[in-house]
Amino acid sequence: MRLLRAELAKLNRPLAWGVAAAAALFCVLLAAGGAHNAAVGARSAPRSLPSCAAMGVRAGPLCTRALAIERSRLTEILAGPAQVAAQLSPAQAGAESAGLMASLPGALALALLAGGHAGGEWSGRTVKNLLTQCGRRWRLTAAMLGSLWLAGVGLMTVCWAALAVTGPVLARLNNLPAPDATAGHEVSLALSQCGRALLVLAVFAAIGVLASVLTRGTIGTTATAAGAVVAMLVLASLPGVAGWSPATWVQGWMGFPAGQASITALPTNFWSRFIGPGGAPGPWSGLAGLVGLLMATMLLAGRVFRRADVTG
Amino acid sequence: MTDVIRCEGLTKRYPGVTALDGLDLTVPAGQVFGFLGPNGAGKTTTLRILLGLIRPTSGRAWLNGRPVPDPDGLAEVGAMIEEPAFYPWLTGRRNLAVLALTGPPLPAGDDPVGAALSRAGLAGVADRKVNGYSQGMRQRLGLALALLRRPSLLLLDEPANGLDPAGIAEFRALLRTLASEGSSVFLSSHLLAEVEQVCDQVAVVRGGRLVEQGPVARLAAARARVRVSLEPADVGSALALLRRWPARADGPASLLVDAADGRAVNETLGRGGIWAHQITLTRPGLEETFLNLTETIIPEVGGAAASR
Repeated sequence: MRLLRAELAKLNRPLAWGVAAAAALFCVLLAAGGAHNAAVGARSAPRSLPSCAAMGVRAGPLCTRALAIERSRLTEILAGPAQVAAQLSPAQAGAESAGLMASLPGALALALLAGGHAGGEWSGRTVKNLLTQCGRRWRLTAAMLGSLWLAGVGLMTVCWAALAVTGPVLARLNNLPAPDATAGHEVSLALSQCGRALLVLAVFAAIGVLASVLTRGTIGTTATAAGAVVAMLVLASLPGVAGWSPATWVQGWMGFPAGQASITALPTNFWSRFIGPGGAPGPWSGLAGLVGLLMATMLLAGRVFRRADVTG
Repeated sequence: MTDVIRCEGLTKRYPGVTALDGLDLTVPAGQVFGFLGPNGAGKTTTLRILLGLIRPTSGRAWLNGRPVPDPDGLAEVGAMIEEPAFYPWLTGRRNLAVLALTGPPLPAGDDPVGAALSRAGLAGVADRKVNGYSQGMRQRLGLALALLRRPSLLLLDEPANGLDPAGIAEFRALLRTLASEGSSVFLSSHLLAEVEQVCDQVAVVRGGRLVEQGPVARLAAARARVRVSLEPADVGSALALLRRWPARADGPASLLVDAADGRAVNETLGRGGIWAHQITLTRPGLEETFLNLTETIIPEVGGAAASR
């Protein structure tokens, strides 16, 4: 616990505050854009379905299918304001925050923090101070992971707080309807998603720690950690191997809705747009995959660090 | 008397470079021990192995009688390796407080962090952020970190770098005080004048091997020379008479004899019927001794080192 306190004390730095402020700003801007898009989309949506002739399709099965797709799109657009209003309610904003931090924005924010916090120990040549005080490298590795994970939890909290404060204002400014879900349902959804995000944030933090002991530098750590997450997403988009990508395990565990290919309203995450429908395993398979990945990453990081010569 | 540091056949090889080549070294307790060598001799590598920062390729080392790496033993060791680095966004005091948390609990006392900062002469600037520190201040902060746990053994690598003359004098006094309080100090330095003034013993390394070790005075005495001025016609006969010592002509009317006893040289010459005009004993300082050991006289004192 003393080591974790030391790591957290070191995180009290301009970089960490800057990343937290950027995360809050990102969440608010995304919410503002989402609320505006939802309101405008609903206002400008046609009140009735177009005819087959208007769509340039001959009457028949083809037209029936086209009408079904159009009906679904219209329903989604018209439901957008109510859905975004629910996402921006102070309680349910927790689920939105969890979705954003357990996806690409959170991964990139933690890669940045890992670069400064863990990789910076090598670039700043302070790792030798740490090791002459505490020679137990496994403990240092665990403390780095713990502090980065807590930083991720902090970012999620900051995003939730920013959305909780600005969400109702944005909803009112865009004339979004009042959310119809009960407070209990909203809180339950938020806590469930935040709880699931804790594991994903731990995986992102572990990837950052592993990148730091492999690259031994700020830039190398950030680039490697971010690159690893992007590589997971690329792998998840490839047919046949998607199931082996940790990105699909995140998708399965978090239960992100498939698709969300365009930002017409407020996306619940920045992850599922890279993964095709049917590419994700169930939540329990996702959980098993993520726990295995977390353990493997930490074991490798600890082993590499324990054997590494510290010469800087 | 126990040994605070012991190295047996310590070797460290990097691809294409042998940093340490079978170093054998013993450092007794309670002394200020100087560790000398030219750049690349293996001094910092030795310190890093002792502190568990790097692993030797072969050989063994002990700190305070415990084999290294020994995480538990680090509580009794204070160290400063090369140019100290700290977290620039934290104050000097906060840096020490954070690093104190990473190791075993500090010894009981009112304010161990404040005491270490005062001892290193940083009390006045302890609450300034480190990014505003000069190199000398960072050096002092490194010293404060080394002193934080009141260690029984201090390992210091070039600790006087960046210190002004007053700072060097303070540092010299501090080392003597620490030794008088019972701490052992292992000091790697290029400042030979400082080493000569504060160290009880020195070891000289070159090419990753120990070349010489002993009390500073004995090392200098071992390099003492006698200069003999005499008639030019007597030079040849005198060299023959003095063959028990390494001797050579040094000009038409002068000889240099590698001996510490001018009287014995004089007596030998007198018995052979040669009377010198003048006999002068010269004792080189540590600097000259160091240069001799690490450059020109290597073949005489360390055949193995010279053979590489």
